[in-house]
Amino acid sequence: MLANIFLKTTRDRVTGVAVGTVAVAAMFAFGMAVYRTIDVSFYYQLPEAYLDLIGLPEGGDIGGLAFGALFNTIGALTLGGLAISMGTASIAGEEADGTIGLLLGNPKSRTHVLLSKAGSILLLMTLAMLLLWGVGYVLPSMLDVSTAGLETNALMFHMLVNTIFYGFLALAIGAWTGNGSTASGIAGGIMVIGWLAVGILPLIESIDWVARVFPWYYYSGSDPISNGTNWAHIAILVGASAVLAIVGYIGVNRRDLKSRSVKRTLLDRLRANPRTAKVANRIAGTARVSGIMAKTASDHQGLLVITGAIMFYMSVLIGVFWRFLPESIFDALENFPDAIIAMIGGANMASAEGWFQAEIFSLTAPVAGFALTIVIGSKALAGEEQKHTMDLLMANPLSRSRIIIQKAGTMAIYALLLGAITFLGVWLGAFFGGAEVSWTGIAATSLLFSLLSMVMGGVALMLSAATGRTRIANYGALGVAIVAYFVFSFLPLSDQLANWAKLSPFYYFLGSNPLVNGMNWGHAGVLAGLTVVLIALSIPLFQRRDLRG
Amino acid sequence: MTPAILTEGLTKHYGEVKALIDLDLSVSQGEVFGFLGPNGAGKTTTIRTILDLIRPTRGRATILGMDTHEKSVEIRDHIGYLPSELAMYPSLTGKDTLTYFANLRGGVDWKHVDELAERLDSDLSLKVGDMSGGNRQKVGVIQAFMNKPQLIVMDEPSSGLDPLVQREFQKMMREVAAEGRSVFLSSHTLSEVQRVADRVGIIRHGRLVDVESVNDLRSKAIRRVELFFDTPVEADEFATVAGVREVKANQHSLVISFDGEMDQLLKVATNHHNLVDITSQEADLEEIFLTYYEDEELEA
Repeated sequence: MLANIFLKTTRDRVTGVAVGTVAVAAMFAFGMAVYRTIDVSFYYQLPEAYLDLIGLPEGGDIGGLAFGALFNTIGALTLGGLAISMGTASIAGEEADGTIGLLLGNPKSRTHVLLSKAGSILLLMTLAMLLLWGVGYVLPSMLDVSTAGLETNALMFHMLVNTIFYGFLALAIGAWTGNGSTASGIAGGIMVIGWLAVGILPLIESIDWVARVFPWYYYSGSDPISNGTNWAHIAILVGASAVLAIVGYIGVNRRDLKSRSVKRTLLDRLRANPRTAKVANRIAGTARVSGIMAKTASDHQGLLVITGAIMFYMSVLIGVFWRFLPESIFDALENFPDAIIAMIGGANMASAEGWFQAEIFSLTAPVAGFALTIVIGSKALAGEEQKHTMDLLMANPLSRSRIIIQKAGTMAIYALLLGAITFLGVWLGAFFGGAEVSWTGIAATSLLFSLLSMVMGGVALMLSAATGRTRIANYGALGVAIVAYFVFSFLPLSDQLANWAKLSPFYYFLGSNPLVNGMNWGHAGVLAGLTVVLIALSIPLFQRRDLRG
Repeated sequence: MTPAILTEGLTKHYGEVKALIDLDLSVSQGEVFGFLGPNGAGKTTTIRTILDLIRPTRGRATILGMDTHEKSVEIRDHIGYLPSELAMYPSLTGKDTLTYFANLRGGVDWKHVDELAERLDSDLSLKVGDMSGGNRQKVGVIQAFMNKPQLIVMDEPSSGLDPLVQREFQKMMREVAAEGRSVFLSSHTLSEVQRVADRVGIIRHGRLVDVESVNDLRSKAIRRVELFFDTPVEADEFATVAGVREVKANQHSLVISFDGEMDQLLKVATNHHNLVDITSQEADLEEIFLTYYEDEELEA
């Protein structure tokens, strides 16, 4: 597997892609199995607009629900995320690692490197899609679930082309700028915002055409699972991917390549200017290295800004949309079946609280919160070990437990800050949108959201402490988060399994319907207690093992 | 006096791999101790074990009389450490990096830091990620010395440093020893150890082969003898002379590593050949070092 750049890249990435794809396949299987145990008649009562919003096909059945719920949303986002990660690592990642020079020390051109990386994205995403296609083909017959009337092949085809588009977008930005954060940030942002916009904008007749601006529209806008392949949309995505490949080709060939060089930030410029040096030094220099907590906070402030900005923007936007929702949708939402209400944490969708709960707190907020705390948790210890800075840190008179507690402290403070930003965004969104939601409900839900994020960060920290490997910590915590989400969202649909939902930390986040009922201190205590237990468990796990050098 | 470092039967296994076997070592206060060995000999494993970064399979170690596991945090108040393959935080400047570690450690005199930076000609205003390998290493050296610790442990510290800076660095190590503090210097740059160390421990395949003073090692009297003839000569003729450890022939000349009676060597040289010239010099540590290992290999 080390014969050439293409194979080496494929080898490096195959595990991550396999884990992500298998997780999606497992969720699909889990979802379909749970749907079999419940009465899905409610499905036929849902308004068409809402089906569009949550990505479910019209006229399907259990199979349609499973395909729609998963592959139209989480599955496509997960695979898009994997492709973005590959695209980012392609050129910008090699530059950040300082390995691009070594690679080009061999008789290989920049174009060769770019094409090898692009080829690897194509191969792995195709294999991932084949795996999902296989599962989607075999599983329904195994579970005796009908997929009649569903254009599953078309859905998979659309998803493959969509996934490659986002991979190539990150690749092109990375090749052009050499900056990994810019590549993953812009590509991820365009994907997530597009996904949300394409879900919501069609509900508002006057501006529904705006959805066409977003690339995601050409994946799901034509509803391929119901209507089959839309070749015009496919052509647009393929054409755009080709353009991106050309942009990447020009980008990587036109500029000086970086070698582990460090970005020059605004603060760096202020520090270099004698007039501002004193103040800037205080902010960027002395303050951020005053201790482990400050240093950890400084390391992750970019991530807090990004997740905070997404949460703030989304919360305000969703609030504003409330004002524009057509009256007709409320009657349908009013009569939502219990099963769906259970799925979104018991909120009444026709109420403002239900709207915010379904659109912000049930999925978007946890994704942003977990991205923040899982990254901090996994990098806290394993990140220092993998970057070989732990030895130097441990040469100081600090106990291992002190390092854990201080890093965990930063993670908790950041989770609280993200909760506060979310509170502000939802409160402003409700204000601008004229939605009646009590501020105490928003505050309670935001605090519970912070606590839930801390739990997942705690899982990542514990795995980081136990193994010293960020990959295990990241994927492990992500796996726990996904299972927890599904246990909370799907088990309540079955009367026999409903009580098991209490095993999920999500239950203690939304289970008490805090937007309506306010704070449930018992539930907050469970989440805080879980966090403390996870951090406490991390200490002996970290103390007893050899540090990786 | 309490030894700066003392290990007793220190052993570390990674599964089947025996990285360190029954290491008994004592480093005194006020000395520079060189720890020599080829790559993979167990130098870094030894250092990481005594610093409690990894845990011994058996055996124990003390630093300044304190158990390295039980008192690991207290010990770090009294040591400076420079790891091999030094990695720091790329987005921090040199000054930020030193400030961070000074804050974590406490009690660092910034005048001393500035002095060290000046002596090593280190520009601390650059970001670590923008520094060359040598300049990064200078920051690493400063952080190891800046709190004037009782013991400085350094793993391959000279990599990337230019000869002028290396000389200053060696002077700094000697000053530490002169003040009654200690330096534990792991290296395979033998000439450096030769210049600064009082004693040398040689490690191979996880075992301590020997500990000797640098002078004793030199007095092992391995000499590098070069013989020039007026006709071509064969190496085999000299290989059997007592004391010849290695012989290389190059047309009219021979280079011999030799620790026997010179008289015997000259007899063979002049018996059948016309000896034109002869040079003889003291072997450097490199040759002594290689000799040890060759002997070991032969025994194996």
